[in-house]
Amino acid sequence: MILPITIGVLTAGAIYLMLQRGMVRIIFGLALLAHAANLLILSAGVTAWRGEPLPSRTGVEDAGDPLPQAFVLTAIVIALAVTVLMLAMAVIGHNDDTKRMPETGETHRR
Amino acid sequence: MIMTAALLPLLAAIPIAAAAATVLWRNLVWQRAWLLGIPVLTGAAGLDLLLQHRETPVLADNVGAFVPGVAIPFVSDTFSALMILVTSFTVLMCLVFMTITGENRYRLVTPLVLMLLGGVNGAFLTGDLFNLFVFVEVMLLPSYALIAVTGTWRRLGVGRTFVVVNLLTSTILLIGVGLVYATAETVNLALLVGAGTDPRTMLSSGVVLLALSIKAAVVPMHTWLPRSYPATSAAVMGLFSALHTKVALYALYRITSTLYEGQPPWIMVLAVLVGLSLVVGSYSTFGERVMRRALSWQMVAGVGHILLGLLLFTQFSLAAGIFYMIHHIITMGALILGAGAIEQTYGSGRYERLSGIIRRDRILTIGYALALMSLIGLPPSSGFFGKVGLVQAAAQAGGAWQAVFITLICVGALGSLVAMQRLWVGVFWGPDMEDYLPDSPETGRGAKTTLTDDVRVTPRLMAPMAVLVVTQLTMFVLAGPIMEVTSRAAAGLVDLAPYVEAVIG
Repeated sequence: MILPITIGVLTAGAIYLMLQRGMVRIIFGLALLAHAANLLILSAGVTAWRGEPLPSRTGVEDAGDPLPQAFVLTAIVIALAVTVLMLAMAVIGHNDDTKRMPETGETHRR
Repeated sequence: MIMTAALLPLLAAIPIAAAAATVLWRNLVWQRAWLLGIPVLTGAAGLDLLLQHRETPVLADNVGAFVPGVAIPFVSDTFSALMILVTSFTVLMCLVFMTITGENRYRLVTPLVLMLLGGVNGAFLTGDLFNLFVFVEVMLLPSYALIAVTGTWRRLGVGRTFVVVNLLTSTILLIGVGLVYATAETVNLALLVGAGTDPRTMLSSGVVLLALSIKAAVVPMHTWLPRSYPATSAAVMGLFSALHTKVALYALYRITSTLYEGQPPWIMVLAVLVGLSLVVGSYSTFGERVMRRALSWQMVAGVGHILLGLLLFTQFSLAAGIFYMIHHIITMGALILGAGAIEQTYGSGRYERLSGIIRRDRILTIGYALALMSLIGLPPSSGFFGKVGLVQAAAQAGGAWQAVFITLICVGALGSLVAMQRLWVGVFWGPDMEDYLPDSPETGRGAKTTLTDDVRVTPRLMAPMAVLVVTQLTMFVLAGPIMEVTSRAAAGLVDLAPYVEAVIG
């Protein structure tokens, strides 16, 4: 039961943060949502404790399902890369509340 | 006949390796050779696969020779080969345009584009839902950077919208894939055939389809597209329009036909969304006063047309939908690159700043007129047969579908026609322009300058658009043979036995 509740709380927090105005909060929201997704994928495998999925050590019936873990590993790497990129975008560009133009030297004309 | 099943992963691997090669060695000639060489290579591979699929309908490779079902499969059939050929060709034209405008000189643009191409090819070829998510991410990550590299200063704010929407959607896709794995115990498409009839898998795959429809910009999940695409440069917008939404549409076609075997439980939902996309996309074009913004709304309308083929789900309607998809990629590419050529020369894409181009650039005007006719569906153009095919498919469906969708196609086409006339009147007609904003490498756009007679759209600048317009006219002439190819592609979606046999054995 602890897993569904955790996923629910993470998702709720993620949605709350994503509806905020500032980019940094949106990024935190997306990071929370990525955690929720990872836990959800892990719960798709068997959540009870299982042995290592190595044929020489554990029989097939006792071994854990390695596939969700591989999924989650890939998803974590992708989420990390995108979070870094988004943090960079939060630094450049206009201020979220004042909508000022950035000092790029470019001119904007209608 | 060079491509074999074992070489399929290379179509994704070679562009990504080339991206690495161009990061390490940043010689301009070297970069340009890779930038233009890789789409030629993948396009040739796509053509080769397309020819091979006349005899062998499906080629599949289980990477690493693991047991089928456990291994990650790369699968090529007529549909995926056709998509690779068409997208590579359009991408090549966008990249030629990019080298002419000099955007490829920006730091890291070459490796980003190559990585994008690798991700797209992977997404077309993968036979595994999780791998689809991975390749979609490989495709999106360079796009996040590309959207921020070129275009106006608005790109920075807009880039955020694009990143946030796409990342949220990717997370939904990931959740959907996790749920599919939980309910169907596999994410291998060949093993998932017909799995959607189980109500639990039906629900979980619905999450996957929701994510893909956001990425495809189906109304009402479309608003991110017309806001973000026009803020980048024309070449990047051309790339995105040929690749991003089309990958999502390809995946929608593939997954719907595999999981539900043509009986999607969401048929009423899909019908409403398709109808909305057709009309909202067409009529929203009225509100725009900038060339590429108007075109981005037409992309939303195109999504509705393409999904209509999937909705009706007969072999003929799928073939018509795939034909429309090819036509849309090529026509949209021509229109965007044409608008880009005008912007590059005169410094603006706004209707009120442009006028009288019909007297200045006659050849460009003729090409643009042909492309616009194709967009609306008037002969002589590929769009004519695209719309005829969809109307025929709707007529075959009979009953209420027939009345509703033929009406919607006509109403949508009418809206597009009038909206495109506004573009035509605003840009091509009217008095001669008196001043323009010349292109300046330091500030993007220079100060207002009096327009002299020698400022014209150069032939080099309009060449990529001209090639796409000629291709589109060729599609009009050769509609029969091309319809045969799309018909074979549709057959592969209706009869899944060869697909399963090639992957599972």
